[in-house]
Amino acid sequence: MSQPHSPPPPPAQPQPPNMTDLLKKPRRIALGCEGSANKLGIGIILHENDTSTVLSNIRHTFVSPPGTGFLPKDTAAHHRSFFVRIALQALRVANITIPDIDCICYTRGPGMGAPLTSVAIAARTLSLLWNKPLVGVNHCVGHIEMGRAITGASHPVVLYVSGGNTQVIAYAEQRYRIFGEALDIAVGNCLDRFARTLEISNDPAPGYNIEQLAKQGGRILLDLPYAVKGMDCSFSGILTRADELAAHMKSGGKGPDGEAFTPADLCFSLQETIFAMLVEITERAMAHVGSSQVLIVGGVGCNERLQEMMGAMAAERGGSVYATDERFCIDNGIMIAHAGLLAYETGFQTPIEESTCTQRFRTDEVLVKWRK
Amino acid sequence: MSTELTYPCSLSLDVPFPDARLANVALQALRVDKELSALVQKELSAVDSTLKVRYKATTNRMLRVAVNSFFDSLALVLEVMEQLDVDVIEARKAEEETG
Repeated sequence: MSQPHSPPPPPAQPQPPNMTDLLKKPRRIALGCEGSANKLGIGIILHENDTSTVLSNIRHTFVSPPGTGFLPKDTAAHHRSFFVRIALQALRVANITIPDIDCICYTRGPGMGAPLTSVAIAARTLSLLWNKPLVGVNHCVGHIEMGRAITGASHPVVLYVSGGNTQVIAYAEQRYRIFGEALDIAVGNCLDRFARTLEISNDPAPGYNIEQLAKQGGRILLDLPYAVKGMDCSFSGILTRADELAAHMKSGGKGPDGEAFTPADLCFSLQETIFAMLVEITERAMAHVGSSQVLIVGGVGCNERLQEMMGAMAAERGGSVYATDERFCIDNGIMIAHAGLLAYETGFQTPIEESTCTQRFRTDEVLVKWRK
Repeated sequence: MSTELTYPCSLSLDVPFPDARLANVALQALRVDKELSALVQKELSAVDSTLKVRYKATTNRMLRVAVNSFFDSLALVLEVMEQLDVDVIEARKAEEETG
């Protein structure tokens, strides 16, 4: 320092990357922080030439008691209390040092405000302490890019199904375009809330427990509304009807065949109905786009019955279904790191003072500069 | 509604940091998110190694809610500084390597 008596300089702002230098680097590494819903995830990804390697992918889930959902305030408190622990674990597993990291990525939205903000504050702090650029990532784009990277699906129709989102997406001209979506609640929200009605466990996830229960059902397919409207779906009316049937069952009521039915029969009927709707709108999108690949991402994408039904449809069209397991389907930090690093490699970054979060952030708002 | 809001309830905090760098990191990490309610106003600044926090609100209730939330965020920033700053991580790694 040449002027010892001047006031302390502000900490150096991370400099925009010199892109030729960055792309010349044989190894590029990003740390991603995700906390848009009840999972806190931190992952570290390595891009080497055209290959992506997961160096670490650590997650901790806030599980609420049976019969209840996760509230924003409690979920944000969970993310705050686990952030440091999960970050240290991610660094340890990846076995890298801070200078190896090129950028810090965080979920900008969509999601629940308080949990998003709690993780963004921690991500900003890391970015400033480590003097690394920050990259804000669209959560949905994170799911899509991670699904593509893991499965190798090149140009799929994407079905993104989770607790907060239900979208049929196809890529065209540097945007992930939404062909169809839920008009009210997300498909996963319908499942989560029905799990609350039945007061079944939220551990590891309500949808998982519905899926297991549904395997014991199927004696009868109970009549539920089928609500496909063009390319869109509606789930709230189906949930209302399923809740009514559950109340009927609990009070000793019989099914349409005069026999009693069980929670397992309800779970089976709910899954069959809503997944059939998803298969229908996905098939229509495939016909529009002329694609025979379906990529399923998002937490509901773990459901093997959904994968099976989608697979049967895709096979009839001479195509196939691409899905990932819970490590990548369910919200995670690695997808944020991966999508963030893809954007960063095109020169994108989020200045600290603009690194806000937003509960609403549509998939098609993102310019997908990294694809042709 | 054209009634002007007044902010009679206020709170000032001076948060000391070990050095100006860390005070500045906290400032930059915490000033980005806007207050969710128009009934609360927040001003942050860093003077040397002190983070200066000024809250004004229309009611004491709003003030309490906003300041509690600020403390939650501040605690997270402090924990990240304590556990994840570059020198802390290097020291921990060195310790692990020497056993």
